[in-house]
This record gives sequence, structure tokens and C-alpha cells, in this order.
Amino acid sequence: MIRTDVIIIGGGSTGCGIARDLALRGIPHCLIEKGDFAAGATGACHGLLHSGGRYVVNDPEAAAECIAENMILRRIGRKCVEQTGGLFVRLPGDSKRFRDLFLKGCEEIGIVTEELSPSRALDLVPKLNPSLEEAIRVPDCSIDPFRLCMLNIISSQKRGGQILTHHRVIEIIREHGRCVGVKAREEATSEVKEIRGKVIINATGAWGDQVAHLAGGSVPITLSKGSLVVTNHRITNMVINRLRPSADGDIVVPNEAVCLAGTTSIAVTDPDRIGVDPAEVDIIATQAQEMLPDFGTTRLIRTYAGVRPLLKADGEDGRAISRGFRIIDHQDGLFSILGGKLTTYRLMAEKMTDSIMGVFGLKTKCKTAEHPLEGQEELRGYPLSSRLKSLEGIVCECELVTADVVERVAGQIGTRHIGDIQHRTRLGMGPCQGGFCTYRALGIMQEMGKMTPDESMRVLREFLQRRFKGIKPALWGDQLREEQLIEYIYLGILNMEQEQ
Amino acid sequence: MNAIYDVVIIGGGMSGLMAAAALVQKGRKVALISKGDPVCCFSTGCIDLLADGDDPLQGIGSLPDNHPYRLVGEDAVVRSLELFREIISEGGLPYVGDVHVNRGVLTSLGRCKTTCLVPETMKFSDFDSDEYIHVISFYKMKDFYPQYITSRYTNAGHSVFDPGVITTAGIAEKFENKPFLESFISWMKGLDIPEGRIALPAVLGRSRAGDVYREVSAGCGRKIFEIPTLPPSMPGLRLFGGLKKALLRRGVNLYWGKGIYSVEKLGNRIEAVTLDSAGRTTRVEGRAFILATGSFVSGGLQASMDSVTETVFDLPAYLPGGRESWFNDDFFAPGHEIEKAGIRVDASFRPVDTEIENLCVCGSILAFSEVMKYRCGHGMAIATGVAAAEACGRLV
Repeated sequence: MIRTDVIIIGGGSTGCGIARDLALRGIPHCLIEKGDFAAGATGACHGLLHSGGRYVVNDPEAAAECIAENMILRRIGRKCVEQTGGLFVRLPGDSKRFRDLFLKGCEEIGIVTEELSPSRALDLVPKLNPSLEEAIRVPDCSIDPFRLCMLNIISSQKRGGQILTHHRVIEIIREHGRCVGVKAREEATSEVKEIRGKVIINATGAWGDQVAHLAGGSVPITLSKGSLVVTNHRITNMVINRLRPSADGDIVVPNEAVCLAGTTSIAVTDPDRIGVDPAEVDIIATQAQEMLPDFGTTRLIRTYAGVRPLLKADGEDGRAISRGFRIIDHQDGLFSILGGKLTTYRLMAEKMTDSIMGVFGLKTKCKTAEHPLEGQEELRGYPLSSRLKSLEGIVCECELVTADVVERVAGQIGTRHIGDIQHRTRLGMGPCQGGFCTYRALGIMQEMGKMTPDESMRVLREFLQRRFKGIKPALWGDQLREEQLIEYIYLGILNMEQEQ
Repeated sequence: MNAIYDVVIIGGGMSGLMAAAALVQKGRKVALISKGDPVCCFSTGCIDLLADGDDPLQGIGSLPDNHPYRLVGEDAVVRSLELFREIISEGGLPYVGDVHVNRGVLTSLGRCKTTCLVPETMKFSDFDSDEYIHVISFYKMKDFYPQYITSRYTNAGHSVFDPGVITTAGIAEKFENKPFLESFISWMKGLDIPEGRIALPAVLGRSRAGDVYREVSAGCGRKIFEIPTLPPSMPGLRLFGGLKKALLRRGVNLYWGKGIYSVEKLGNRIEAVTLDSAGRTTRVEGRAFILATGSFVSGGLQASMDSVTETVFDLPAYLPGGRESWFNDDFFAPGHEIEKAGIRVDASFRPVDTEIENLCVCGSILAFSEVMKYRCGHGMAIATGVAAAEACGRLV
């Protein structure tokens, strides 16, 4: 049995942020995550560190939180934030009145803007639609959500935080009407572990209601699916937003070597059963093409969908609901944190931690905004600069990942999941989307004895199905060519079989 | 400077190469244009005819009426394969097998793949699963992991040789080097391998593969065979390189690495194509044309969100329904609908619903060919390539 003070359920940005906050305030804690870090909405979002501009007209409170956090994160997380800057572009037909409201809102909240002529905007982003009316520059950034989670976790682990990934909470233990611990099952071994603590924090995002139910409670969230598409290279080095009220497909974000375009907003009920519809891809691609005409001829490499856990508000559609967050004290030792955004994850963690300090009779102040994220220099195998140092024995040609790096990461974290390797090395994240290197990485893991050949065949099969599911809604143009090639390789050359 | 050809073939894949072979054999003046090395370089090098049943030729009769094989007919399929074997054996790597018998070859995942004709280096690949198999792998070779294979067989073992390089092409190049080959053979001789067969990834040389294979086999006196690997794989490159060389010897004029820049038409006839080459344009004039540019993967067809176009002549392309019906949900389910897309032709391989008179079409760009569903890729390409060449020859 593990004994601790605070049990955090959920390894998204909120959960990881809370772990770091508790660690810096010296409070023992244990984080339990059913998959890998950033497996929910955190890893399935745009990777946009909002300036707040997107919300400034309809949700000024959320916009103010965004700009404040944006400034903090670019200071403390230099290695996971890319200061791209962003543009809001107004195309012919887009309302001038909205532009006026936008500028007024930005000024009131303190978002620094700069009005740019079309030619100035085209100097900055040459692939913008040349018929644009104007552009407004804002301090948007792109952020790597997976890396952000990993860095938060490093602070926790350095101070004795216990981190259990691939552990699913199956029971919340209640004694005398209070939540006193949880039982979690390790995925690989099915071993059930008991963890006891004084406070349990439900930071499970879209799964919040399911977890609250384990303790007999519920939380007022509404789930909204957002889909995105990924291009095989960058067509803009700045974040591009459409200057109009929020709508589908109005943001394109550069991230590492690719661009992410989205999103959509569709109400869903089950966060485990979501997929991207071809119609959504058509909307996103068409809208993105209006801002960046080259989008129409660029190869798409993947589509994915995430579920936003929004605060429930009856009768409102997903776009109109506030991006603000809320903390619920279930009055039995369980707290739930709901809503919010990746951009405000640190603030959410701060408020959450503040609200449980009373339980421990402590008054320690939050330190997460002052100290840079630890481990930014040491995160090996991940940044391009370190990948470029050794080009021998490359197994992933798209992202320059070597066999040695795969072996080291597989050895360090003892994982049996190809996804864990991908997240920590960027293997398979490039244009071929693992079409070649997954077979190799699994072969290496077999040789290391990390996986039996049968297991690796199962993983390879699952990987190919998932990869196919990701690109299927967007199969036309060059992505269709690439898909046919992958089919020839796995079904033709290797004659891979269907599941028995 | 303009050249006038009897037939101009567009596309340097299997069907285009075989169409050229059939035409030069008949004494025609032939040009072949390819924008680059074809996708068939990525193949296993094996000639799949039709995976269903023991006799692939028998299966042709039960294919749907609109399948390209049905237009060719069994006898012509056999003749086309004879021509293929004649040409490919000139390069020193003959193909073995019986066109009436399907056989298995071992894949890099340890699966048995059904095919028909195989290069000599794979002639012992159809081993009995009770027989002992010994897999030779190469240290850190990035595209070959013997456990995928040995784990599937109870009676298997493996040894590792360090060639000093890790890529398929790099190792294959080393095998064409005499001292390296000798050191490998002497290492093989020193192994204590039980009675049975020896398999190794397809790295036994590139252009001299036949010689290398025979030297290794003779050197250790065992039944050895190659296993095709992930692209870039040697058997595909050898096959395609061998055909290309044979055609050059026979006087086919190759325009390599050049795409089509524009098409000249006069009335219902195509007069010439202009090639996209550096510094100047090349005009290639022909009495008749053959389109062999392949399916989507090769760039012969191009899909937009809701339509399919043919990329050289803008021929009307058959499209099976809307985009939501193009693909199955399951990656492994054989036969996505989109495989039916392509150019529909009449009995003389001329495209339907078009005015053009002097054009024939062959290979995987043909509608209803469904090469992944029927596993008939190279066989269908050879058969339709030769048949379209014969039909085209009658036009001029």
C-alpha cells in the first residue's frame, strides 16, 4: 500500500501541473494516470498558447487569464514554448465591426496588438491569402503539450512525488463517509495497488464525471469534441487565426515540423468513443485554405479529435460556453477541477492547490509562476538539437531518432507501449507517421527482450489500425498516395494478416 | 530535334516496360517516358498472378467480367509471362516457378505470402514448416529483425553477421565486393547449423545478385533463400533494373526522370508530348501512345476531396461512389472500393468515353484491377502491358 497526502487522478496538463505545485510546496503526493501523460484533451489540442485574442470578445475573463498565463509560461517554459507570435487575419467579407470589438477588448485586457497592412502581413507569412484585408498581430505562441507535462512531472519526481502511469483507478475507497484512497490496476500486469491519502483530486477532464461516480458523486461538465488535421510540413511560422467570431477551422498553429489546423465543436457523450468525420476534415481543410491557400495542396498526415471538458451551461452550444474553470469540493475529501484550457493549466493547478492547503493547515504560497520548469536542459532524445548530434543508426528518418535513443528510452521507462516511445523521442511523429520506423522500433524492443514477438505483432497491428483511422477521414491527394504505399508494404510485401 | 516513334509509352513501371518489350520484339520503334524510378522498385520482386487457389490461371475465369485479366485471356497471360521470363533472364537473374502453380515466399514478418514466379534467389523459399530453418541476420540492420520470423516456427534458429553497415542497400553493395563475399562465406562455413534451409534478408548484391547467390549457395553447400525486406528492397530494384537494361539493349529509347509538360492533339489523335527537362523542352512525337502511369501511389491517378482525375491526358476516370465509401474501416480488410477507380477500356485497351483514337491503357491505372484485393499486381501489369502493346501495334 502507498500512503501519501494528496492523490491526483489524471496525467493531463492539469494533473501534472498540480503535481508540480504540490512538490514545490513540499506536500507528498501520488499521481495516477490510466494511459500515458497528455493522453486526453491535453495531447489532442492545437498546442496553442493563447494570447487570449480568441476569447476577447465573448469571454473576456478567460481571455485575461490566457494573456497572464501566456506571459508566465513563455518565461518559465522556454523549451516547450515556441514564441511564434500570431496573426488574426480579416478576409474580404469578414465583419469590420468584429475587428473593432476585438481591438477594444484587447486594449481593455492588456493584450498587445499591432495592426498590419496586407503587404506587411504577407512579409511575415508569405503564404497568407494575398487578398486579405488586414491582419492584427498578437502574442500567440505554440506549445508542446506532451513536453509540458513531462517537465512538470520532473519537478514532482525530484521531490519524491510518486507517478503511476498506465494505472487505471477502479475504485475510490470510502470510510465513514469520506474518500480515503483509491485502488488502481496496472494495465500490463493487472496488479491492483491501494493508495491512501488525505485528499483526492479528480483532474481527469472529460472523464471527470466517470471518476466522480466512483465516489457516488457527479460533476457538471458537458463534452465537446474538437477535430484537427496535421500537415506534413509548416506552411506558416506564425499562428494564424481568422478575425471573426469563433467558428470551425479558424486556427492554424505551427508545431515542431508540422502545422495543426482546426477545430470543430460537436457535442459528444462518451470520451472513449470519438472519431473524426470526413465532413469535419472537409470543413477544416476548406476554412484553412481560405486563410492559407497552399493548405489545399499540402499533404495531410493525420487527423485526430480531442474532447473538451466544458463547464455545463444549459442551452448553450459548445463554442459559447466559457473556457473558464471551476473547482468543486465534494465535501468528502474529493475535489474535482473542471473546464479550463491548456493555456491556463498552471493557474488551475495553483487555485486547486490553494483550496486544499487548509486541509493540511499550511499557508505556503504557490511558487510555480516564479521558477522555470526544471529539467528543460536535460530532456534528452527529444529536442532536435540533441537529435542532430548523432546521426548514426537512424531508425526514424523523418524525426532523426536513432536506435540507441529508442533502446535508452525503452530501457529507462521500461515501457511496453510504442506510444510511450513515440512521445519521448518523436519517433513516428513526422511525415511517414511511423509507417517505416514502428516496425523497426518494435524489432529493437524484441531484441532487448522488452516484448515478445507475439506482443509486438499485436502492437504493430493496433498501431496500423490507429494510423489508418487517423488518416481515413482525409484520404485524398498526396495522403492517399502515401496510404496506398503503406498498404502495399504491410499487406503486400509483409503480407500482414488480419487479427485471428 | 524531334523524334517520331511508332509508339510512345508513358510510365516506366512493370506494365510500361513490358509493353515496350512486346513492341520492340515486333520491330516497332519505341520510346518510353518515366518521371522517375517506378513504385515497382519497392516490390518484393516476386510476380504475383492471382493469390486465390492453387492454380492462379484457373482463377482468372472466376474474376468479375470487368477485371483487366478478363480482357487479356488465359493464353495471352501465359504468353506475356514467357516474354517476361525471356527478358529478365538476360540480366543473369532468372525467374523460377510454374505459371500454373502458386507458391509461398517467406516475408520479413515471418508470414507466408502467395506468389507465382520468384527470382532464383528465392527458389527455396517455399519450405515445409516442419523443416528446420536458420535465419541469418545482420548486426543492427535496421529493416530486418529475425525474431519476427523465428518466433513463428518451432524449428528455427538464427545467427548474426556484422557487415559494418546497417542499411539494406549498403549491405547489398558490400556483397558485390569479392573479399567481403569470401569472408561472409567462410563465416557461414564455420557455423554449426542443423540440416535444413537457410534464410537471409534480400541483400545478396544488386546488379550481380544471381552470381552472388550462386557463390554463397555453392560456398556453403546448402539450400539458401532470400527474404524480401521493407523498401528500398533489393529484389524490386534488381527486377526493374534488369528489365530496364534489357530494353536499352533492344533499342528502346528511354526518357528517364522526365514528366509530361504538355500534350499536343490534332483532331482525335495525340500527336506528341513535351517533356519537362532541365534547360530545354523535348518533344516526343508518336503514331500511337500507351498510358501506363499506374494508380494513385504512382501518380497516374489523383484524388481530390470528391473526384478522381487522370494526370496526363485528363481521361475520364471511373470513381466508385463518394469519399466515405472509398475505404473500409479496417486497415486489414482486403479490397477498399477506391481500388476500383481508374480508366475503363474496351477490348482493345482503348479508353472509353473519349474521342482519342491512338491511345491504349495498361497496368494498375485500369479500372477494376483491384491489385491488393486479388494480389495480382505484377502479373496483371505484365499481362495488360503486353496485351495493350499488341492492340496498340495494330493501330499503327
